[in-house]
Formats: sequence, C-alpha cells, structure tokens
Amino acid sequence: MLVFAISDKGGTGRSVTGTNIVYRHALQGNDVCYLDFDFGSPTAGAIFSVSSVARGTRENGLHHYLRGECPQPRRVDVWAESDREGLRARPPGAGRLVLLPGSEGGGELSALTDEVVGRCVQLLGRLDEEFDLCMIDVSAGRSFTAELVLAATVRMPAIPFRWLVFHRWTRQHIIAADGLVTGADGLLDVGIRFGHDAEDLRDRIRFVRTAVLEPDAAELVGLRDEQRAWLSACDSELRELAGRHGVGRTAMLGKIPLDPVLQWREQLITDEDVLASKIANAETAAAFEELAKKIVDDSAWEGL
Amino acid sequence: MLVMGEVHTGLLQNSGEISESTCRQVLGLMAGETVRVSRRPIVHALSPERLTGVDCALPTASRSRVRGVGTVVSRCAVTGGRVAQGSSYARVVRSEADRRLPWSHYLARPGVVEVLGKVKAADLAEGFTGDTVPGRPDGACLDLGAVSGRFLDLVQQSPLLDRRAPFKIPRTNLRWVAETGEPSIRFTLHAEQERTLRLTHPGPFTPAVVDLCEDLATHDWLLTSLLVIVERARIGGTPGAQAVARLAPAIDHLMHLWMPAARVEEWMTPFWESLERRPGFTRQWRSLVDRVRDQVAMNTLALLSATAEAGRRSP
Repeated sequence: MLVFAISDKGGTGRSVTGTNIVYRHALQGNDVCYLDFDFGSPTAGAIFSVSSVARGTRENGLHHYLRGECPQPRRVDVWAESDREGLRARPPGAGRLVLLPGSEGGGELSALTDEVVGRCVQLLGRLDEEFDLCMIDVSAGRSFTAELVLAATVRMPAIPFRWLVFHRWTRQHIIAADGLVTGADGLLDVGIRFGHDAEDLRDRIRFVRTAVLEPDAAELVGLRDEQRAWLSACDSELRELAGRHGVGRTAMLGKIPLDPVLQWREQLITDEDVLASKIANAETAAAFEELAKKIVDDSAWEGL
Repeated sequence: MLVMGEVHTGLLQNSGEISESTCRQVLGLMAGETVRVSRRPIVHALSPERLTGVDCALPTASRSRVRGVGTVVSRCAVTGGRVAQGSSYARVVRSEADRRLPWSHYLARPGVVEVLGKVKAADLAEGFTGDTVPGRPDGACLDLGAVSGRFLDLVQQSPLLDRRAPFKIPRTNLRWVAETGEPSIRFTLHAEQERTLRLTHPGPFTPAVVDLCEDLATHDWLLTSLLVIVERARIGGTPGAQAVARLAPAIDHLMHLWMPAARVEEWMTPFWESLERRPGFTRQWRSLVDRVRDQVAMNTLALLSATAEAGRRSP
C-alpha cells in the first residue's frame, strides 16, 4: 500500500503527523517505510531523531536517485540509527521502520521527464514488494512532486495507493484543502490529465484535520462562558463550511488534537512521552494509533 | 581471468503461484526466443539471455582505476511458479588491444568484459565481493546488481501478475566471483540482504557455475524469508492461534520449494554438499519447518481439546 501525504499549505503538521502514523503502524507489527519527497525541505530525519540525516542526506538521497545520480537511494533503519533512546530498540512485535531521506539542499524538482517517472515507478514498485505501508511525503501544495507520483501511479495500476490531505481546522485551510483536490491544477485535475479515473481517484483521497481544538477540550476549562460560546459558534460554522467544500465528516479519515508537544517541537510521540514523562497527551497518541489502523482499513475507504 | 555475477531473488508478485504456461509468457522477454522449462523435481523456467553493453570502471579492492569494455549477460528465472530471479554475469578477460575496439568485436563475444590495462584477478575479486570494501559499488563502477535488479523488475512488473503477493518480503542480493583453481567455496552473509560467494572450480568456466549460484541464491532467499516469517509469528509471545495464522503463508507458499542442488550438474554437487556441512542450509531449513509444523500440531490439539471440553459441558 502506497500512501501519499500532501497538505494545502506549509505548517499544517503533515510531516509530523505522517511520521507518527508510520511509527504507530510499525508498532502494530507492520513493515513500514517513509519517503521524504519534500524536496524543498527534507526534515523527516529530524522528526525521527536521526541527526545524520536531519536535513536530508548529502549522498544517495531520493532527489539524487530520481535525477539518476545513484542506482538506489539510501535507507536509514530508524530502530538502529535514531539518536533517541526510546526509539533505538525495536520493540517486540514491531515491524521494520525505514526512512528514505531526501537530498540535502536538493531543491524542488524542476521538470517532469519520462526518466524521472520511470525511476519513481521502479522505486515504489520495489518498496511495495517488501513493505506493508510506504508513506510518501509529497510536500505542500501543487508541485512537480505531486504530478510525479500521480504520473507514476497510473503506470502501476495493480499497486493500491491512497492520498491523505492534511489541513488545519480554520476557514482558510478548509477552502485551500478543497482547492488542492478539486480546484484548477488540483489533484483530480492533474490526475485525470495523466490518465486516472476521476471517480476512482476521488475515492482514494481522504482528509486529516490537524491541531484541532475541540470546544469541549480540557484546555478550554479556564475560558469565560462568552469565549466558549464564541468558539462553539466558530466550530459549527467551520463544520458547515467543510461540508459545503467536500472536506466534511464523510471525507475525513481522522483528526489530530492540538498538542503542545507538536506545537513546540516536531517529534514522534512515544508511549513514554504519554505515560512516563507525561509531556504529550494520551488523546494525541490515541489519534495517531487510530489513524494508523484506519489507513489500511477498507471500510474507512468505501466510496463516498 | 574470473567471472563475476550478481543474482537478485524475490517473491513473485502474484497472489498464488503461476502455471508453467504463465511462466513462459512472463519470461518471454524476446519474441522468437523460447523460455527453457524443466519440470522435475520442481518447475523451473529460465528466460532467454539478453546482453547489456558496458564501458566503465570495474570495482577493485585497491581502488585503482580499471576500465572494462564488453557485454554482460542477463536472464530471469521463476522457480516453483513462486520465486523470481534476475541474474547477470560477465567473464572478465585481459584485452589484447590497449584501446577500445569497435562494438562488433565485443558483440561477437557475448558475456565477456575485456579489461584495458593491468589488473590482478584477486584485486577485482576482492573489489567485487567486497570483504574489505563494504557497501555497493558507486555509480561510476560496473554495477551488475543494478542490471539484475532491473531484470527482476521486468518480471515483477509483468501485466500477467496481479501484484497481490501473500506477504511482504525483501529481495536478497548474491554477488559472486568464480575462478579456476583448487576447488573451494565460501558463502558470506553481510548486513541486511547482501550475500557474497567466492567459488574456485576445477577446469574452465561453464554456465553450470551460474546455475549453481542461482540455485544457491534461491535457497538462501527461501531460508531468509522463512526465518522472517517465523520471527514475525512471535511464537510464545502471542496466542497460539494467532501465531499459526501468521505462519500460514510459509505453509502455503514456501515450504514445498526446498530442492537443493536440483539444477546443479553432477560435478558441482560437492560444492553444495560442502555448504550443507557448513553452515548447513538444509539443517536450518528442516529445523524451521519442524518448528512451523509443531506449532500447527500443538494448535490443532488445543482446538480439539477445547471442542471436546465444550461437548462434555453441553451433551
């Protein structure tokens, strides 16, 4: 299964949510890999706490590979190479957790050639042979990278793939997320141009809300009644807006609550962060855990 | 001087095993050339051979620059309708000329790479199987693995396969070097999925050497994969029924494929036998297979006694 992670804008928490989902999926006993296709700023290494590739790799990164500069991209075994003690031992029953870092200072893809698409097809086909889940971080907004994977998936009709669109729970983000999917040069538009079936592609796209503050959350206990009433009114307004833009509940795969840890530092939230040091909220870990299950649960992906 | 090759082995990307006739179609890389199929003791299909022209540096342990020009032979194989391989090799010989000759010269010698300049066979052998030089050859060097990987991709991307493989499993890569001399064989497991083989055989090189390496690669992949599946089952760490369910793919798809030395010529069987003594491939395979079967038997017993218990309670 290939899962492409994209967001309408930067700063939505796409990378941190995507990495936490693959981490949880690995803990659930699956072999997973994470491909940092965010060529403008490959920072997945930092989130996995692998300092040697914190800002991408100087040699054999994904960008080098796609440009044909190396036969195979570098792989980092997170269980072996992470600097974080809590990640360095593979927990019993957990699957492989492999990061394919981007190239340091690689820059966005500047053009989409047949060779680049061919290399992408070869890479994703091989990874699909050995990993239960491959998550591909496709960066924010419309890009050559998004076009690249749309072109590549057309050539691999038998390999299942899904798209996750990450967006924050605000008016602008809801409108932008809808635009990224259905707007001009959006995912559907470009996908159809490359030969995808519109309806089929639509069914493979789900939204994930990030940094969501629920009106009944514990953090809001100290608020005045007027503030709570105002928040509640905003929330229902946003819900109505999301419904109108096709970003509503039916198209949503999950939501990640606002968590101070993710606001201050992008990192994996381990059970230790929740239970021992108690810096992260249990709800956040539970939300990642549930998304990690839903991502492969066909009933969550039935036609809209 | 020596022969170097690399075999990549993986699970055929199909939900079940494929029939002999499908094998023929999947491996029919070139129109008009036939796919060779042998049926006993296991169905083994071999594609026609294809050539890749090369003109590049050869890997050396001393890191001295050695240029090789010629062609590499590649082929694909499917064993038991289930295990797919991409295999490439080249005979490395000294060139009689000191410059690159017209391509017609090299095309008349398929599978031969001619070395321009001086080089010692040991330097090349060490450079390729790399005990001293870990990791893959860099981009500028002859990379037989890249060629073999692409040939395996050709099989795996065949539209005749449904890509719904019963389990996910990595490919393994076996890099080998064969020379003429006093018979000896050395098989080494490296990190992850890398393996190397150093073989010294009496008499001149024949394609039977390649058959041996491919046979060895098949069985090393089988053993590696069965080990992974048994590890994933977490016997003892999970309830018996759950462990058995995780072992099921091995029973369905792997356990009947073990046929060591089935395709190896008579005069080469001592090489296999020596590997059977040490490290003992079949010994480890049998112990794993027994372990899987014992788990299934124990689970059956548990189910039977649970059923009997339920019967006693509600007569």
